[in-house]
Amino acid sequence: MRWLLLAIFVIDLVIVAWLFTGKQSQQEADFVFVCGTAHRRLDPQRMSWGIDLRIAECLFDPLTRIKLPEMVVEPAAAERWQVSEDGRTYTFHIRSDARWSNGDPVKASDFVYAWRRALMPDLVADYSQLLWVIDGAERFYTWRQQQLMEYAAGEPDSEIAKQYYHDALDKFEKWVAVRVQGDKTLVVKLVRPVHYFLQLCAFGTYMPVHQPTVESQTTIDRHSGRLVQDPSWTNPRKLVCNGPYVLSRRRFKRDLLMVANPHYWNRAAMGNQSILELIIQNPANALMLYEMGQVHWLPDIPSSGAIAADLLEQKRDDVHIAAAAGTYFYNFNCKSTLLDGSDNPLADPRVRRALAMGIDRSSIVKNITRLQQRPAMSFTPFGAIPGFDPPREAGASFNPQQARSLLAEAGYDSIRGSKQLKGLSILYNTGSGHEQIAQAIKRTWEHELGVVVKLEGQEVASFGERLKNHDFTIARAGWFGDYRDPTTFLDKFRTDNGNNDAAYSNLAFDRLMQDASSELHPIKRMAILRQAESLMLLEQPIAPIYQYVNFQMFKQDHVKNMFPNPWNYRRLELVEVNSVVGD
Amino acid sequence: MVHLISMRLVQTPLILMAIFLITFVCAWLIPGDPLERPEGQRPPIEIRVAMAKQYNLDSPGSFLAGYIHNLLTKFDLGPSLQYRDQRVNEIVASGLPVSALLGVAALLVALHIGLVAGVLGALRPGTVLDLSSLGVAVVGVSLPTFVTGSILLVVFANLLQLAPVGGWGTARHLMLPALALGLLPGAYIARLVRLGLADVMASDYIRTALAKGLSSHRVLFKHALKVAFLPVLSYLGPAAAFAVTGSFVVEMVFAIPGMGEHFVNAVLNKDQFLILGVVLVYSVILVLFNLVVDVAYAWLDPRIELT
Repeated sequence: MRWLLLAIFVIDLVIVAWLFTGKQSQQEADFVFVCGTAHRRLDPQRMSWGIDLRIAECLFDPLTRIKLPEMVVEPAAAERWQVSEDGRTYTFHIRSDARWSNGDPVKASDFVYAWRRALMPDLVADYSQLLWVIDGAERFYTWRQQQLMEYAAGEPDSEIAKQYYHDALDKFEKWVAVRVQGDKTLVVKLVRPVHYFLQLCAFGTYMPVHQPTVESQTTIDRHSGRLVQDPSWTNPRKLVCNGPYVLSRRRFKRDLLMVANPHYWNRAAMGNQSILELIIQNPANALMLYEMGQVHWLPDIPSSGAIAADLLEQKRDDVHIAAAAGTYFYNFNCKSTLLDGSDNPLADPRVRRALAMGIDRSSIVKNITRLQQRPAMSFTPFGAIPGFDPPREAGASFNPQQARSLLAEAGYDSIRGSKQLKGLSILYNTGSGHEQIAQAIKRTWEHELGVVVKLEGQEVASFGERLKNHDFTIARAGWFGDYRDPTTFLDKFRTDNGNNDAAYSNLAFDRLMQDASSELHPIKRMAILRQAESLMLLEQPIAPIYQYVNFQMFKQDHVKNMFPNPWNYRRLELVEVNSVVGD
Repeated sequence: MVHLISMRLVQTPLILMAIFLITFVCAWLIPGDPLERPEGQRPPIEIRVAMAKQYNLDSPGSFLAGYIHNLLTKFDLGPSLQYRDQRVNEIVASGLPVSALLGVAALLVALHIGLVAGVLGALRPGTVLDLSSLGVAVVGVSLPTFVTGSILLVVFANLLQLAPVGGWGTARHLMLPALALGLLPGAYIARLVRLGLADVMASDYIRTALAKGLSSHRVLFKHALKVAFLPVLSYLGPAAAFAVTGSFVVEMVFAIPGMGEHFVNAVLNKDQFLILGVVLVYSVILVLFNLVVDVAYAWLDPRIELT
C-alpha cells in the first residue's frame, strides 16, 4: 500500500516537473498589445466599438487618415482631393498603387460598394447615420426600409425579393450622390457643407471592402427579402483587405495576429511587420504580462477600477494619461410630466441649475475617480476641438448658497421646509464605479440643499432602455465625440435627436444649430455653436461632472510613435518597438 | 440495464424541452433591450427597428418559431447579439473544447487529491497524516476559487515564473487553472472517501475478509474502496458537467477562452441566442453525465435498481 502511494507521488512529481520545465512560449509578433474584450465584428461598415475600429484601421485603408501627433487629415487611399467652392462636393483621386491584398487594384467603385452596404438597412450597420451627410443617403435608407416592410407583408417569393433588391440598387444609383469617374475618381456631394467630412472619411464606416469577396458571401433571404451577408468573409482565410496588414489568425476570445500586407502602398513607412493582439479580460492578468515584458502596450485598462488609480499613484513614467474627448455627466429629465403622469419638478430650469450647482466636482475627481480628470463645466470637452473654446463660464460651478436661493426662487424650501423637492432619484448602471459618484452627489445634495434623492442601480441593458424611454428623473451618462467638431456633442440636444435623453427642447437652440450648419465661414460657425452651447448650459438639461481620460501604458523608450491624444487616434502601423519581447 | 438506458433516452428530449421553454421565458423577461448601448451614439429609430426585425426580436412568437425551426432543421443556435460576427454554434465550438479539456484535467486533479488524501486519512485515522489531509481538505473547501486562483497565479506565474500568466494553447497553460478548479472538488472527494472508507473498514464483511487472511492492501482496493466510492460517483456526475462547461471565475482569473464566461455575461448582455445556446448545451451534457453515473452505479453495485 505504502509503495503504491509512493509510486503515485513519484509520478505526480515527474508530471509537474515536466510541465514546469517546458519552454516559455515566445510571442510571435513585432508589436504585442492586450485588448480588454472580445471583438464584436471585423466588418468595417457594421462596427461601432473602439476595439473593433482599432483593428479595422490596420486591415483597411480609408480615403484619408489622421496624422499624428498633429491630428490633421492626410491622404491615404486617396492621394489628393478637391473641394468645391460651396463646400458640398468632394472629388477624391485614388492612388494608382493602391492594391488589395490579393493584388487587385483599389477602385473608386470599391468605396461606393462599401458605402452602399452601410446604407442598406438589411445589414443593420450601427453607424449608418454617419453617411447621412451624403446627399440622398437618408432618403435611400428609409425608402429601402419601407420597401422591406412591404415585402415582409406579402407572400415570400425569391424572384420578387431579387426584383426588390435590384430596384434598391437602381434607387441608390439615382438618389445617393456618389459617382465614379473612371476607375480612380470618386465624386461625393453632401447635403450641406460638412466641415469634418474628411475626418469622417477616415472612419470605419467609410472604409472600402473588396466587392467580390463580400459578394461571394451574400444571399437574399426569401422570407424577409433582406440582403444577408455571412460575416465569415472577415475570416483570416477569406478576408481580402487593402490596409497595412492582412489578418493571419483570429481566435475568438484568444488572440488576433496581423502581418504586413505585401501589396500595401505605403509599406516602406511601416514601423513594424506584425501585430499580435491578445484578448484578456482580466486587467490584473494583462498587467502581469506587461510587467513581465511579454506585452508592449496596454490600451484598455479600465479607468474605474483600483488598478489604474494605484498605477497612477506610483508615478510611473510608462503610465500615460490624456484628457479624452468625452464627458461624464448627469441627465435631467426636462419633460413637463414624468412617465407616471406626475408633474416633473425638473421641468423648471432653475431647479436643474440648482442641482448642478450642488455637485462638488473637484471632490469627486480627487476622492473617487482619482485619475486626474478635469472637472467639467461644459459639455464639449476642454481642449479637444481645434478652434472651439467651450463656454465654460455658462456652466454651473459648485455654489451651494446660490443653489439654495435658486431653489427658493423656484418655490422650494431648502432645509426641512414644508415644500420640499421630492420624488427624485439618480439612475445609474451598476459596476464601473458609478455608484460611488451617485452616493457622493446624493450626500452633497442632502447636506447642502436639503434635497433627498433615491439611488437606483440597474444592470446595463435595462438602464439603457430606461434612458431611451426617458423613464428617469436624473440619470448618469457618458458621451464621447466621434469626430472633431462641436456638433458631435451638441447635436444631441436638438429637439428631434434620438440621443436627446434629457428630452431638452429649445427652439432658439435648434435654430442656432441650423444656422451653424449653413454657415460656411469656420470662425463664425464656431461662434454660433459656442452661443448654442452657452444657451443650453444655462438651462442645464445636463450637469457635466468631469472630462474622461484615456489611460494607457507603454514604455516610451521602447515603443516609438505612440501619441496619446483626446480622440484615441492611433497609427499602429507606424509604431516601432526597440526591444525584443521578453527583454 | 438496456431498459434503464432506453428509458432515460426517452425522457431526455422531454427534460430538454422543459429546460428550453423555462429558459426562453426567463431570457425574454430579462428587462432591457439587447440592441441598446448606454454609452455613445444611439442609432436612429429606423435602424433600431431594422435590427429588431433582423434578429426576430420584435415578438416572442416569431423569435421562438424562428429559433426552433433553425435548431431542428440546421442545428443552428442562431447569431450572438453581443459578438455580432459569431454564431452561437461557433462560440460553443470554440469554447466548449477548451472548457472540457480544462474540466477533465481539473477532475483528474480532484480525484487524485481526493483519493490520496481520503485513503491516507482513513487508513491512519487520527495520525498526523490524517489530520494534515483533513486540513488540506478543509482549506480546499473553504477557500473560494478566485482566492486560490489568484494565489497560484501570483506565486507560480508572477514570482517564480514557472507557469504562464494566463491564456491557452499548451499543457503548461493548463496546470494552474486545473489545480485551482480541481482543489475544491478534490477536497470534497477527500472527505467523502475518508468518511466512506472509515465506515466500510469498520463493517463486518471487511473484518471477515481480514480475518480470512486477505492482505489489507487487497481488502482496501478490492472490497472497501469500491463501496466507499459510491457517494463520490454520484457527486461526480453533476461535478463533471459543471467542470466541463467551465467555471466563470477560473476562466476569468487565468484568461481562458472557455464557456464559463457566457453563462454570466450572456445574461447581463441579454444575448438571448447565447443564453439559450449555452443552457441547452449545458443541459445536454448534464443529462448525459447523469445517465453515465447511473449506469456506473448499477455496474458497481448490482443491488441498486434504477428505472
